[in-house]
Amino acid sequence: MKCFKHGAIKRGAIAALLATVALPALAADLMIGRAAEPSSIDPQFSRTGNNQGTAQLMFGRLIEQDANLQISPGLATEWNAVDDTTWEIKLREGVKFHDGSALTADDVIYSLERTDEVPNSPAPFSDMVSSIDTMEKVDDLTIRIKTKEPAPAFIEDIGRVFIISKAASEGKSSEDFNTGTATVGTGPYKFVSFKPGESLTIEAFDGYWGAQPEFKDVEVRFISNDAARVAALLSGSVDLIDAVPPADVARLEEQEGINVVSAASGRVIYLGLSQRFDQAPGVFDLDGKPLAENPFRDPRVRKAISLMIDRQLVVDRILGGAGVPAGQLVPAVLGGYAEDLKPDEVDVAKAKELLTEAGYPDGFALKLYSSNNRFPGDGDLVQALGQMLTRGGLKVQGVEALPYNVYSKAASAGDYGAFVFSLGSSTPTSAPNLSSLIQTYDKEAGTGAFNRVRFSSKAFDDALAVALQEFDAQKRDELLAEATRIAFAETPIVPLYWQKVFWGARKGITIDGGLSEYTLAQDVKRVD
Amino acid sequence: MTAFLIRRLFQAIIVLVATSVIVFTGVFAIGDPLEILLPADASMAEREQVAESLGLNDPLPAQYVRFVTDAVQGDFGRSFVYNRPATEVILERLPATLELTFTALVISLVIGIPLGLWAGVAAGSATDETIMTGSILGFSLPNFWQGMMLIMIFSVTLGWLPSTGRGETGSLFGIETSFATWDGLKHLLLPAINLALAQTALVIRLTRTGVQETMPLDFVKFARARGISSPRILFVHVMKNILIPIITVIGIEFGSLVAFAVVTETIFAWPGIGKLIIDSINALDRPIIVSYILIVVTMFIVINFCVDALYSLLDPRIRVSAQ
Repeated sequence: MKCFKHGAIKRGAIAALLATVALPALAADLMIGRAAEPSSIDPQFSRTGNNQGTAQLMFGRLIEQDANLQISPGLATEWNAVDDTTWEIKLREGVKFHDGSALTADDVIYSLERTDEVPNSPAPFSDMVSSIDTMEKVDDLTIRIKTKEPAPAFIEDIGRVFIISKAASEGKSSEDFNTGTATVGTGPYKFVSFKPGESLTIEAFDGYWGAQPEFKDVEVRFISNDAARVAALLSGSVDLIDAVPPADVARLEEQEGINVVSAASGRVIYLGLSQRFDQAPGVFDLDGKPLAENPFRDPRVRKAISLMIDRQLVVDRILGGAGVPAGQLVPAVLGGYAEDLKPDEVDVAKAKELLTEAGYPDGFALKLYSSNNRFPGDGDLVQALGQMLTRGGLKVQGVEALPYNVYSKAASAGDYGAFVFSLGSSTPTSAPNLSSLIQTYDKEAGTGAFNRVRFSSKAFDDALAVALQEFDAQKRDELLAEATRIAFAETPIVPLYWQKVFWGARKGITIDGGLSEYTLAQDVKRVD
Repeated sequence: MTAFLIRRLFQAIIVLVATSVIVFTGVFAIGDPLEILLPADASMAEREQVAESLGLNDPLPAQYVRFVTDAVQGDFGRSFVYNRPATEVILERLPATLELTFTALVISLVIGIPLGLWAGVAAGSATDETIMTGSILGFSLPNFWQGMMLIMIFSVTLGWLPSTGRGETGSLFGIETSFATWDGLKHLLLPAINLALAQTALVIRLTRTGVQETMPLDFVKFARARGISSPRILFVHVMKNILIPIITVIGIEFGSLVAFAVVTETIFAWPGIGKLIIDSINALDRPIIVSYILIVVTMFIVINFCVDALYSLLDPRIRVSAQ
């Protein structure tokens, strides 16, 4: 009897020890290795790509965007302009939040109201809701919104805001989303746990209104180092990785048991030629003295430089094919793409002619600047550009590549005359990119926020304004393309190429990757 | 001792103030966080809103004064990226780094001291040559390359150990740690070895030199003459004498390991503070950078203090001169 008791205690002790020591390992159906981690799980905290690509796992929006950012009805099924400044929005019936409650107009109004009130947001969604004047609940599934002025793209704007549950998140802070107490959305996955710098665990939501995702338990691991992420895929620690470095693509493709998926991204890499000051920084005459005027203010000089660059060569040699030569801001799948604007082919003779016309028959001297850690190959790119410009008859006095955190400030301050920069797309049309990059810089009006070269064209600004007022989507796209043609007749910037992005997956799975570059668990499919 | 303590405390405060000024100005000069934080299509209004809410519109001296005023009250500001108190973000990741560093340190001592003793006693022999050549490899091969090789061999080719992340953590005495689960230990092993390699080489060299310097001394000869066994001479009497330089160096190295385990943490996706600081520098997350450096400086001050205290325990002469 005594012996039995002793044994029971022993067994109990071992069980207790095991309980404290070993947590059951939850094997996920799908392990994803992602390069970048979100700064918060609060879907309204920041609208950087990382955060949006994370929020989409768990939260729904009024409209859905596919991998190429094109829109379709989401939580809203209909949106009609009652008059120029009034929209009536019908919500989808039978949509459930993760806690089982039904989605109502109150949740949507609450979400839209909270959008620009998230404290200390480093990248707020404020613009998405800035045109809202008043909101009114007509019934549980109908909302009427008055805008301050006519806003044809209104649904695209508010459609980007993630809808959260009013009951679960009212009075809660962004931190409550990280712990999960407020993380109640309508998306295909439910929140399980989030460890900053480490991983995010999610589970498929049975009550999701759309198609059920193929993988139920998913763990997303954040592995920022490129080589380590590739190694994790090769060793089988993860099933899928994003942001495969272009240099590793060929190797992975040869590897038994690994698939590589590629897509053209919306990120355009361009050469900026600053028209900002009377003298362009880093630009000299052939004797090394500053030029009397800024040569980049002459559109012929900008065109000449564009004609000196062999884009296909850059893509093939520096990027190993991971790019698509560009002749405008956005790629063909986005609204506002101008079909007839082809990338400039290299034509040194024509460039020389244009330079002579502009008054620089023997060229001039310049320095080129670039970041060296912003996108793959940026440091090498600027060196190649240096050689191409030298071949084109300019005297390149050196290239300088700097870390992005230092470089970006100086580039925005106008410290560089000729510099390489990039711009990503996160909207269905080219409108926001046109507006921020090449519309006339005007601090009061709030236009041209990233117009670092200070390109300014009245004809383009007017054409863009007309396009932005157009209610008919198809017509608006045509008007945007027209505005793009007007601007690019003067070569506002020199577009180089659109990046290609790559995913690596173990055999048997694939991902619908697209322009958005998101790595969403619901887009991962099984294949033979 | 009290005077010594007060003097130390005073020095520490001066160092902290000087560091905060240098770091604050330095970080301010690097770049503009708005350029990094804002999405590419942000409007002027959004830019203004963010600058206002993060307090970036004020001139540098005003920002510094606000930082110091808050800091003396224990508030080191909120991370721009995470919108959480900077110290909380750092301290949350500190245990991961500490357990990695601690494991690496133990590995380096357990392997390094015996090998160093062996090499020292058998100086000039083939064993000594082998150990010393090995140690040269240990600290001359780049850390990141060693890491990649470890991953290639043990994860990709052999498939024995996982290559990324911290694995399952369990709680041991109320602390979340990798030591508590088998999975956690498996994840810990490769990064700890990676971090320990250079350290082990250093310990081997220090120990070997120490043994070689101490063995010819008179007290060892006398001990021999008295008939004390060789192992006892080596492990008790010689060890005591060579521990002081080893403790000094290891103390400072421990600080460096904690503060700069950056390479290892990045390669193995270890969620520690080394990875955090690199991410924060890239994102120009000023509150995190400044708090991190102040925490690291404080840590070095404390470690140095402990090393000094250990000295006086180990060596009575230092104790006497301090009084």
